[in-house]
Amino acid sequence: MAELAGVYAASHGPMIVRNRDKLTTAENETLDSAFIELGRRITAARLNALVVISPDHWVNFFIDNLPSICVGVGEVHDGPPEPWLKAFPHRKLAGHPALAEHIVRTAVGHDFEPSVSYKLTLDHGFCIPLWKSGIAPLPAIVPVTFNVIEPPYPTVKRCYAWGTMLAEAIASYPGKLRVGVLATGGLSHSIGEPDMGRIDEAFDRDCIRRFEDGDAPALLDFLNARLPAAGNGASEVRNWVAAHGAARGRGFELIHYEPIPNVYVGCGFASWKLG
Amino acid sequence: MRDYWLSKLFFDLQTPAIAEEYRADRGKVLARYPLKPEVRAAVEADDVAGLSKLANPYLLRFYFLMAGMPEDDFLRRIRSTGTSRG
Repeated sequence: MAELAGVYAASHGPMIVRNRDKLTTAENETLDSAFIELGRRITAARLNALVVISPDHWVNFFIDNLPSICVGVGEVHDGPPEPWLKAFPHRKLAGHPALAEHIVRTAVGHDFEPSVSYKLTLDHGFCIPLWKSGIAPLPAIVPVTFNVIEPPYPTVKRCYAWGTMLAEAIASYPGKLRVGVLATGGLSHSIGEPDMGRIDEAFDRDCIRRFEDGDAPALLDFLNARLPAAGNGASEVRNWVAAHGAARGRGFELIHYEPIPNVYVGCGFASWKLG
Repeated sequence: MRDYWLSKLFFDLQTPAIAEEYRADRGKVLARYPLKPEVRAAVEADDVAGLSKLANPYLLRFYFLMAGMPEDDFLRRIRSTGTSRG
């Protein structure tokens, strides 16, 4: 049987890469050290596969047909299309079709109806954390997109349930694999909105405290009350909620948090306690 | 509510070749999209506030970045719209 060997979260703001020359030395050092510590933990977990939960930033999907949740079951995924990510070292990323298809089957058995894609392109949401954390070697990637950029969004309750289902899928996979889960995005930020650039540090710190505590009902109540006012980008915390579910609400250890105005994002990095 | 063809224009402009064509000749690219006259006028006027009511905010931000509007200018204009959108 497969083993859940690590659950992680990391911000993925484009400006981390695109604006690197304009960030202060201290900001770059803070981000670099947080990503490196995250990568050290992921590498130490010796993963065979990594399920990465991220939004699709209008790369694979459009308002013609916008899946709430999509699982990438392909043998290979395309690297990021953003011109400013040309230096990303992988034009192709290996997938894990057997694990991905098992996750889909398990999801359907738990009354989810995920979309399935045999050909996903992984944008900065996936690739910035994979790149900046320096994970070596890169495990097989099972990408899962959550629609958290165009309403209606999945509820936080549903995201948590997806995470608990994901843990069951990994545990029941009939193969000897070490599997990790990485949620990307968040914390608070606002993009293309009237409050663009605002970082809700109070929200972020409250949110982190609740993730640390591991009390899932309290976390979900908090997010239902506060998430809508924390900026449209904060919606990506839903990905973290799924990771929290995968870790069965055990609570996480914060690697680092810092609101970085030049990135527009309250940047957070964490790994969950798996006991 | 989103304006479909405006959103489609923004979405398609993520393709670098189309973006390059757009920057060289806006009218030529706009002619391929059945935009409502008032929407096309808003595009031609770089009307951030007007367009912000019609498209996803991520696509809106991408569009003006792609079109070459300086970041400070975009921030000033989007902030002047005043109310959050969904």
